[in-house]
This record gives sequence, C-alpha cells and structure tokens, in this order.
Amino acid sequence: MRISALSKGGGSDLQWLELEDVGGLVRGNPGTGVRSTRNGARQEIVMTLANERLNGKRTNPFPMQDRLSVPRERYYDREFFELEKERLWRHTWQMACRLEEIPEVGDFTEYVICDQSILVVRESEERIRSFYNACRHRATELLKGSGSLLGGQIVCPFHGWRWNSDGSSSFVFGAEAFAAECLKPDDIKLEECRSAVWGGCVWINLDPEAAPLEEMLAPAAAILEPLGFADMRVWWWKEVVLDVNWKLAMEAFLEGYHTMRTHSQLTMGVGEEWDAGSLLYETFEHGHSRFWSKPSDVPMSAEMFIEFARVLWEGQDAMTLERDVRVFESIRHRPEAQENAAPVAIAALYEYAAGAGIPLPQLTPEQMGQWGGEVFLFPNFFVLPQYGNALSYRCRPHEDNPEKCRFEVWSLTLYPEGHDPGRAELSGRFAQDDEENWGMIPRQDFSNMERQQRGVHSDSFSHMRLATEWEGAIANLHDEVDRYIER
Amino acid sequence: MAQIGASTPGVGQDGHVRVEPSGVHFDVRPAESVIQAAWRAGFQWPTTCWGQAECGVCAMEILEGAEFLVPADKVEAARLRSLPRRDGGNRRLACQTRLTGGGNLTVRKPGVRLRAVEAPPPSAS
Repeated sequence: MRISALSKGGGSDLQWLELEDVGGLVRGNPGTGVRSTRNGARQEIVMTLANERLNGKRTNPFPMQDRLSVPRERYYDREFFELEKERLWRHTWQMACRLEEIPEVGDFTEYVICDQSILVVRESEERIRSFYNACRHRATELLKGSGSLLGGQIVCPFHGWRWNSDGSSSFVFGAEAFAAECLKPDDIKLEECRSAVWGGCVWINLDPEAAPLEEMLAPAAAILEPLGFADMRVWWWKEVVLDVNWKLAMEAFLEGYHTMRTHSQLTMGVGEEWDAGSLLYETFEHGHSRFWSKPSDVPMSAEMFIEFARVLWEGQDAMTLERDVRVFESIRHRPEAQENAAPVAIAALYEYAAGAGIPLPQLTPEQMGQWGGEVFLFPNFFVLPQYGNALSYRCRPHEDNPEKCRFEVWSLTLYPEGHDPGRAELSGRFAQDDEENWGMIPRQDFSNMERQQRGVHSDSFSHMRLATEWEGAIANLHDEVDRYIER
Repeated sequence: MAQIGASTPGVGQDGHVRVEPSGVHFDVRPAESVIQAAWRAGFQWPTTCWGQAECGVCAMEILEGAEFLVPADKVEAARLRSLPRRDGGNRRLACQTRLTGGGNLTVRKPGVRLRAVEAPPPSAS
C-alpha cells in the first residue's frame, strides 16, 4: 500500500511525501533520507499520523511496557520528542512564571515552551492574561524577556501596531492601506491562551479544552498548601542549560535514593550504611508524586542536627538558610536538646519566626513530615519544602533539541510580614560546574546527568531499570507522558 | 542656595514638569517617569515603543532642572548616543527619566499636547 501525506515541514516548499506501508508500520521511502533531512522531525510526525490513520489508534513509538523499565529512546528520539511537543506541551498546564515576576500592573514576562512564546501580562491588580507572542500582522514576536508596559500598550517593533493589555487592538498604523477584511477586530486582537494562578505562580495551558488547573494539579498540590508555599518569595533564582533530555534531568530529583553516593556528605559519614528506606514515596494520578521522611527512630544530637543544617545551607543555600542555622545554633548547649534535638530546634524556630514576623504556619506532625521531602507536579515542576523555605525546580526542553534542557532553580523563603523583596529576576545562567554560583549539592546532581545522557546511547544499554518503590515516581511521570501522547 | 522649607525638593515628593513650546505642565509622582506622568495627566507625548527605551522618539531637551533627575542608566545612555540630533547633549528619554524627589523641570518637546478623544479600534465596518 502506498499513501501520500502533505509534509508540513518544508516551509515554503510544501511537498507530498511518499510513504510506504511496511508490515502495518509506515516508513519513509529510503530514497528520501528522512532521518537526515533538515525537516526530518516534521516528516516523522507526518508518518506517525499516517500510521494512526492506518491503524485507527494513536501511535507511540516507544511506550512504557511496565513500571519497572523505561526504553532509552524516550530520552533522545526525535520522533518521540516531536510527539511530546505536539501532544504533551500543547495540552498540559505548566508553570509560566511566579507572580512576583509581574508584581505591578503592566508588568509582563515571556514564557517559552518549545517553539511557542507566550506573554504573561498583569492587566490589573486582579487580572492576569496570557497571549501568544506574535504580531497579528506579519508574525513578529512582540516582546522579549520581561519588563513593563508603561503606557499599557503592547507594541510591535516592526510596523508599530499596538494592543491594550487586555489584548484588544488599539492602533494600526496606516489602517487605511488595508482591506477591511484584514483588520476585523476579532481577528487582529492578540490570541489569548488559558492562564490560572496557584501557589504564587501563573500557570498556562495552550489547550482551550483542557480540564481546569485545580483539577489537574490535584491531589498533589494540596500537600503544599498548608506549608505556606503560596506566600514564599524568591531568595535567589538561577538556571543552567544541560545537554540532557528534560525528563532525564528531572528524574534525579524524583528520588532520594541517589543521596548515598551522589551527595555522600549528607549521609553524615555512614556511607553505604545510609538508610535509603527512610524516605517514603507516593505516586498520584495526573503524573504527580512525592517523597517525604519517615519519622526517625534514631534521635539526633544537637551537634548532629546543627551540623546537618549547616551542610545543607552551605551546600545549596536553599531549604535551610543561614537564619535557620543561627537559630539552631542557639540550642547547642540546651540540656533538653542533647539527646533529641529536633523538637527543641523546631520550637526555637517557631519562637524566632513569631518574633521576626515570619508567617511560619502551624503544622501537624504529618504535614511537617513533608519538610526535607519533595512534591512533583507534572509535567516539570518541583517543590522541596523545609521550615519556612523551599527549593523549587522547573525543567524545559531547550533549543528544539531532545538532548538539551533548561533547568531553573529557585530558593524560596517566607519573608517577615511587611517586607517586600521586590520584583523577582533571574540572576543568571551559570555553567553546571560554576562553584561561585552553584552550591555543592546541585553541582553533584548536575555532574551525573550528562554522563547519564551519554550512557543511554551506549550500544550495551536498552532501558532504565527502576526500583519498585524508590523510583516509582519516574515510571509515574513516563506513564502520564504516554497518556498524553496516546490520547 | 536653596532654603530649607516646604518647597525644598526631597525624596517622596511630587516634582513638576513644564514642557515648551506648548507650555503645558503637570506633576510627576515619585518613581514615575516623565512620559507616564504626562499620560496620567491626559497629554499625548510622541513615542512609538510606548516606554521600552527602544524608539528614542520621546527624547526631550532638558532646559532647566537637570539637577533633579536620576542619571540615565546604561540602556538609556546607549539609546541617547544613537539619536540623530545630539544638540547640546542635554537630552533624555521621557520614558526613562525620573526625578530624585520634588523639583521643577523644564523641557523642550514639540508635539506634547492634550490627547484627542481615543479613536475607536480599527474596524471592518
């Protein structure tokens, strides 16, 4: 059987691509050199679509077979990556910016996901809108990075067409030169996409039919709410670009199993005796997951507690900050803290927070168990809360390359009431081994990732082998990716 | 020498701008740029980028009161250097110029006038 499909990948040279049905699977004509062409990605998508037409179902070239293994191709295959672009990223809710990036009316920031640029604009105190960042005239990206619309106007840098911050057209220079049908107000208003606010962040979705944000973040988001996450503000915000698939980079943070070897300083000298089973894992629907600490049977001495806090602060300046270490140091010689320091240290922390006006929420023991753990919100957002602080990550594909990602790291904290830390800004993009800008802990994490990415190309390697419980969140992530791809 | 008193410019006070040759004038609030103050007061001020320090069209000549201005930052300074007319060297971008506190500023900027009633958006009808 021979079928034809219109290739969308050729730009102006739209072409009919000859496809051949080989045993139920469509392959490009070998003579076309599909994989080596510049537009190979689009052509592969066309082939996938053609396969689907033949088979009557969505085709996933490298599906998860079970929750114990992950096919290696999911980390580098161009066709799989294109399917993620079309079917995952265009349909999933994703964290586009923190509210404090656009604190004032007229502030905007650009969010880029794969080949789409979205402008998130604070239209008023209460209202935030998101627009596709493309002029309705001749497609020019309207704004770059972040800034403020001083005059409440989004202006195209090419011919000066303008829009109000609600997306309505406010000015077309030389409108008299256009046919009326080119300037219909509904056609030339900025194309809006969905946005909603949760956890001090703006989330966007390019799919007008997607289920509401709160439904899609459930049930994992609710774990973070009592911990004061929505009230936290940026302590610092940095990013790194890694030659790693976006999922591979995230997987290091979906488990604490790697602590023993990667962050051996955090085992406080016990090495291979470290109890990896002290972390509990839970996976949820919608691809979300978490891990948290089992209440320890072994009480920690004051010295050990303070030393662990100091190592965490110096290692990443997040989750535990200097102010926490100083508070903990105040209990060093208290008799009641010598055998079991944690309750005394936490009481001191609450006492300090009350005096400083830091709105540290009261928590049940179970809620407090999430301190030092992690909550993952599918597809690419992490929160690791501890005390009045949190570490947070966001990871996206970068430069249309399945083997590159842009990994952002926030250290967040509860500031004293009335203290405004100001508009949040990315302090920079730093190399993964930059000792000045990355603490020891993130450098240790980054150092494994590119080795792993190279490893998945080894002829000896076919699939990841996952620990049933400890690495279940990785399988859960991939299963949800498949649900999007196969819908 | 300025006298200590109610009229002494200071942080947190409104400033005042007079624009020649039209003679229009308006107050400038703390942290507000000259063009934002003009817009708030209902005046039209020439620009094509609307506050992004890109077009240079809002540039004004400072006639009096330069001592009350926050100095130009790198972005504004670079844009000023690229303007076609550099007469006097005392030009600033109205979209970037802020006052340090109160004070009276006089500038020359042709084309500043009360805004006409906002035209309706372009329509096919």
